[in-house]
Amino acid sequence: MNVVTTQPQPKPSLRDWLKTLTFYELLLGMKATLTHLLNYKPITLQYPHEKRLLPENYRGMLALLRYDDGTEKCVGCDLCEAACPSRVIRVVSAEVPEEPTKRYSKEYYMDMTRCLFCGLCVDACPVDALGMTREFEWAVYDKRQLHLNKEQLLAIGDRSYPVREKRLELQHPNVAFFNVAFKNLPQKEI
Amino acid sequence: MEIGLRLAVSLAQIAAVMGVVMLTVMVLTLAERKVLGWMQDRMGPMEVGPYGVLQPIADGLKLFFKEDIIPAGANKFLFTLAPILALVPALIGFAVIPFGPSLTIEVFGMQIKPFVISDINIGILYILAFASIGAYGIILGGWSSNSKYSLLGGLRSAAQVISYELNVGLAIVGVILLSGSLSLVKITEAQAGGFWNWFILAMPFPQIFAFVVYVISAVAETNRVPFDLPEAESELVAGFFTEYSGMRFAFFFIAEYANMILVSCVAAALFLGGWNAPYPGTILGYIGLDSLAWMENVVWFAVKVYFFLFLFFWLRATLPRLRYDQLMRFGWKVMLPIALGNIVLTAIAAYFFPR
Repeated sequence: MNVVTTQPQPKPSLRDWLKTLTFYELLLGMKATLTHLLNYKPITLQYPHEKRLLPENYRGMLALLRYDDGTEKCVGCDLCEAACPSRVIRVVSAEVPEEPTKRYSKEYYMDMTRCLFCGLCVDACPVDALGMTREFEWAVYDKRQLHLNKEQLLAIGDRSYPVREKRLELQHPNVAFFNVAFKNLPQKEI
Repeated sequence: MEIGLRLAVSLAQIAAVMGVVMLTVMVLTLAERKVLGWMQDRMGPMEVGPYGVLQPIADGLKLFFKEDIIPAGANKFLFTLAPILALVPALIGFAVIPFGPSLTIEVFGMQIKPFVISDINIGILYILAFASIGAYGIILGGWSSNSKYSLLGGLRSAAQVISYELNVGLAIVGVILLSGSLSLVKITEAQAGGFWNWFILAMPFPQIFAFVVYVISAVAETNRVPFDLPEAESELVAGFFTEYSGMRFAFFFIAEYANMILVSCVAAALFLGGWNAPYPGTILGYIGLDSLAWMENVVWFAVKVYFFLFLFFWLRATLPRLRYDQLMRFGWKVMLPIALGNIVLTAIAAYFFPR
């Protein structure tokens, strides 16, 4: 048998009585709301008209990037596909015609309905071919419009990163060696 | 001929009052959202028109063109009747509200009171009676929808409206004892001559307790926050009008706001002196513009009514919803004894110190 023991209630003092009678607590709350009405400073933004400044490392829409000369960075290594936890990415890799040492992604698909914007694919890419843009307004009427192909992803990259290769000096030397356009490859020290 | 003319004048008065009330309802829908927004550090509606001032028109158009749905299994007759039953009593109460001084003007040899549609001698009783009929609209709407949420909302509303209607009635009795009349015009006239004559402060027994009881019960009776259990959106979707859409929904909506205006008018007329200014006479009367003094009186009435309407919004922005048992306990164990005690004390005071 559980015996419910109740705390002995403290006897209400005259002060408490007066507070109840004069709606003291209610008036306190009403004073708070009235202060907000009189010092009206809205903290909301009129969204479509004014937008918040997004943080520098905002993880938005994914995009494929190009080198400055316009060639694609992607080498078709499939590492992004392997890294993706939601199986968003599908890469069909192929050799560059007449250049047997170089590969590229013949087809590259992203199913953005499943993407959770974790950024693992961007981390996994050895040549920085993937980037996260700051685009987030991707509401569509048809879900199929979120199945993006390579041309669309490159177009997103083009409009979000008009200036590229800014962070080359920050990269690991091994990556930096490969992460340039083919024709700009530095001479290897022999 | 005479009857036709009288009818025409009455209809014109009714149309004017209805127009004012409907306009106020429109203003209120916007004002509520704006005031609520400002109190919560938001902006309220901003998209339609400059600063969102055309929002009521957009809302009205939207509701007008919405599909009218009658749910399967609903009682069609009562489902159709309920919104009308809610709206008509809310609007019909304005017939006895005096909006301005009780002048009589002569038009084509007829005595006409321009600021009250009909000054019947049981005005208060009439309003209380029709307010009770308004509860039927809510209950029937909840029952006929054939939905759990609606039924629960309707049941809650039945219990709540009946409990708090009682308190409203008893709170008013004190005022009636002091004024000796049930006519709102006579009650307001008894409070002329400065704010110390208003029944909230008037000797021999200030009706301040009755006033507090009336305001709280009026909030409960109009199903507003913090007593909005019949339409508690976090528990019952929308309560008794969950299944309503389009114009039927708009009827319930207008009825709620019209009821707010009605109880505000009654509160202003009974406790805060109605159209009387807080000082004796009128300023326009003192400076020799006696024929325009009614304007000042009407403005004072509007100020009082809008104060109460603002109070409704203010409470809504501040207070959370009561639990059902709290609501009932508060109504029966706190409000009712206060109202009864007020009647006894007022009666004793009025007997020994007749006005």
